[in-house]
Amino acid sequence: MLTKINVGPIHPSTHGVLRLVVTLDGDTIVNVEPHIGFLHRGVEKLAENRMYMQNESYMEKIDYAAPMAYSDLYVAALEEAMGIQTKERAKYVRLILLEFQRIASHLLWLGTFCNDLGQMFTMFMWTMKDRDLILNLLQDVTGSRMFYVNMRLGGVSIDLPPNFEEHAKKLLDYLEKRLKEYEVYLEKNPIFIERTKNVGTLKRNDAIELGVTGPVLRASGVNFDVRRDYSYYVYDKLHFIPQVQTRGDVFARYRVRMLEMRESIKLIRDALKSMPEGDALGMPVKLISPPVKESEVKVRRELPRGEGMIFMVADKQRPYRLSIRAPAFINLSSLRQIAIGERYADLFAILGSLDLVMADVDR
Amino acid sequence: MLIGNALILSNGIARLIIEVIVIFIFIVFFDYMFGWLERKTIAKAQFRHGPTYVGKFGLFQNLADIIKLLAKENVMPSTADRLVFSAAPPLLLALIIFLVYMLPFSNTLGISISLGLLAVFVLLSFAPLMLFLIGASSGNKFSAISAQRSVIMSLSYEIPLLLAVAGVALYAGSFNITNIVNLQAHMPFIVLMPIGFFVFFVAMLAELERPPFDLREADSELIAGWLVDVGSPYYAIALFVDYTRMFLGSLLISLLFLSGWIGPYLPQVIWLLIKAFIVAIVIVVIRATTVRMRIDRLMRFGWFWLLPLSIFNIILTFLLFVR
Repeated sequence: MLTKINVGPIHPSTHGVLRLVVTLDGDTIVNVEPHIGFLHRGVEKLAENRMYMQNESYMEKIDYAAPMAYSDLYVAALEEAMGIQTKERAKYVRLILLEFQRIASHLLWLGTFCNDLGQMFTMFMWTMKDRDLILNLLQDVTGSRMFYVNMRLGGVSIDLPPNFEEHAKKLLDYLEKRLKEYEVYLEKNPIFIERTKNVGTLKRNDAIELGVTGPVLRASGVNFDVRRDYSYYVYDKLHFIPQVQTRGDVFARYRVRMLEMRESIKLIRDALKSMPEGDALGMPVKLISPPVKESEVKVRRELPRGEGMIFMVADKQRPYRLSIRAPAFINLSSLRQIAIGERYADLFAILGSLDLVMADVDR
Repeated sequence: MLIGNALILSNGIARLIIEVIVIFIFIVFFDYMFGWLERKTIAKAQFRHGPTYVGKFGLFQNLADIIKLLAKENVMPSTADRLVFSAAPPLLLALIIFLVYMLPFSNTLGISISLGLLAVFVLLSFAPLMLFLIGASSGNKFSAISAQRSVIMSLSYEIPLLLAVAGVALYAGSFNITNIVNLQAHMPFIVLMPIGFFVFFVAMLAELERPPFDLREADSELIAGWLVDVGSPYYAIALFVDYTRMFLGSLLISLLFLSGWIGPYLPQVIWLLIKAFIVAIVIVVIRATTVRMRIDRLMRFGWFWLLPLSIFNIILTFLLFVR
């Protein structure tokens, strides 16, 4: 006999307002239907009615777990439309801030993922504490904890403060130590391994066909990272290896993110070492827009959740049309493929491993 | 003659009443202090402070919570089977409290009956049935899944639990808990049969619905399992059940394996309570650190690990000590 269960939109493990209609045969999932749109704010439409630099703060609200990545994506699209070059030092500053943002986002993910596995709030509080230190560092730079709005055309709004390097290095050492602890803590736990290994496998071909990106894709054995394959800023100059796992299960996705945090730490260290002196400040915010060089631009960036893309038809003062490829939305579409045939309890492990932010899905 | 009998009888009744009151005070004391300690321990593990505002160190927080829960309106879902749904939680509470009364607290306090051990575990196996009734009668689908899990869980751990207890009874040659404790005067049973202790402890974790076996009220999957539709006053009862069950579980563990009330200097009852608290805190620390097991894995774990281990324990006990 089939049972239909309505999971969400108010449920402890749906990370916001995702509603899933799950059909169960005993304990086995027969079908999963995601219902989205509870957090739809029409950001793309709103952007059409605002001046270019007014939109940046709207873009940050798309992904509240990694806002700076989105503001960078939008500003990069704008720079391409305007034909503005990023300053050399600003490239390094952006890279450092973005990688810190990636670590913060992955730490938040790790905590919520353990919550989904039923390890209520211990890991969550630990990773939140570490994430808080990163937020403090970013606050030192930008003046705000959550929504930074620090990217400007050609550079950043506020350059790194003088003692940033010292603080950052101390924080990176601390984070490296903590990550090692988390790895021991989780991977030495047989129940954690049991709950994640060989659960929710996404095969390589399915992953490519469904169009998933980011850690989910790399966990399925596809060696693709926008940071390397469509390199931007100084990622090609720094020593950087995309982290790939082959199994494609929940554990592989966990592992990819853990290794990515390590990789980010390495990247930041490299960038801090080779960062040139000079000016990193971008153009101040002006309501009157600079002249548009190209009318249609497409920019891609590796966000913490996957590949983010902006397609923008530029107009004189505001975007004529703005279209965002949100990574979490595409990754959510693979849920059905992964979850069918799995156990009901594993649905939440899978959902957690996809790292959804509902604001990103609904836009 | 008649008057003498009546005096003895009334003396017995007075003693009985006093014992009932004293043990009930123990139950309430343990429940209250455990509720507070659990919150504080979990908070410490998670870099939080836990309750701090109500009373010194937040000692009265639980009291405030109970008052709040009891003052709220009881909402009963329209799909629920009203009779079963409203009768089962108090019955479950009564069952658990009754089970605590069946245990001896020292050589003099509490009852000592010849088949006490057997009776406790027979009655204890009714608790999953009660949870099944609450879950199935509430008319909520999450509770229904919880009810199914309840049955599967009791299938997977009841037999190893009873076999581990059988090892203890085999060594002691008695089902009388007082005898069992007094046999541990020189050596607690945890040293003599560590495998039996392991099986018993793990099965008790499942019986007490503690992580990693909190499958019935799995927060992240079933929201709260059998508690989803339980209204506020009944939720207070459910909390009372949870803590009293914890008391029962840690008492059983300390009586059967940790030499119960035997210890130097302090009164016997105090020793038993101290041991029960330590066992309870260990269980809370386990709660703070492990992820939840999956139901089919638990079944496999029960039948392929716990059951062979418990049988092995019985054989070992027989060969080493009894033969």
